[in-house]
Amino acid sequence: MDDHTTDEAADLTFWGRHRVMLMIGLSIVVAMMLVGVSLALYASSGAAQLDLSRPGYRAVSDQAENGDGGFENYSASGTIDQKSINEFQSIYDKQATKARAVDAFSGDPLNPDALEISAQTTTE
Amino acid sequence: MNTTKRIVAAGLVAVVLTLIGVLGVAHAQSAPMTDDQITRIKANCTSAKNTLNQLHASDALLRVNRGQIYESMSTKLMIRFNDRVSSNRLNADDLVTVTQTYTATLTTFRLDYQAYEEQLSKALNIDCSKEPVAFYDAVASSRTKRTQVHTDVVKLHQHIDDYKLTVDSFELAFNAKGTN
Repeated sequence: MDDHTTDEAADLTFWGRHRVMLMIGLSIVVAMMLVGVSLALYASSGAAQLDLSRPGYRAVSDQAENGDGGFENYSASGTIDQKSINEFQSIYDKQATKARAVDAFSGDPLNPDALEISAQTTTE
Repeated sequence: MNTTKRIVAAGLVAVVLTLIGVLGVAHAQSAPMTDDQITRIKANCTSAKNTLNQLHASDALLRVNRGQIYESMSTKLMIRFNDRVSSNRLNADDLVTVTQTYTATLTTFRLDYQAYEEQLSKALNIDCSKEPVAFYDAVASSRTKRTQVHTDVVKLHQHIDDYKLTVDSFELAFNAKGTN
């Protein structure tokens, strides 16, 4: 019996004898490729910009609004009459005021003067 | 004849290469930096980077929170109202047009913010004590991109107002149709 097993092992090719290692190696390569594709998608899709769990964003991550922030939905079905139009206008005005409340990305915080990296020298 | 052609070709190549070189140098020197400024950047490197890091985080939070609201304006209100109007076989063309413009601006906002964030990250990754000129240029580029993001926000606010006016016009037309 032992002789038979030894003969079979001798008949196998190099890759046949190391097929477990081969499978592990291939699995690692495939996993690395999939991780690479995932990271590329993560970076290119803009998801990275919305991920506040990244290092550097921890301080502000708890200030992110979860869910829809109380945003009211308007039903897409039903009749259109004065009452339904008024209802929509009421909801819309409320949310529009909320949307326009912040003049986001205004100001000029990257001005070289503000960062004190401009050519201007400090007066003494 | 063959030699003349070669000389002319070589001359043209030399002229083109010289022009490329001159233009490249001119571009690089578009904002000449003095030694004093370089010294100033190096001296204020740490504080500038701290400010940029804070801005990076606060702008990311702003992007997430404002982005949600801008997205909801479209998906939870505009599109739903348009669908309801259409399903009642009423004319929603103007409403749809404003919604499409709003959605396109929202897409531009997302892309412009992405470009801005990537540029600011590049600036943050530059060692300003060793590469002050590259740091300054990266910050300047980030500044331009941030201004573009703000322009998109202003446009979004304008489209939000436009949609309200279009709903008002729809209401007038709807009531006029009802009285006739």
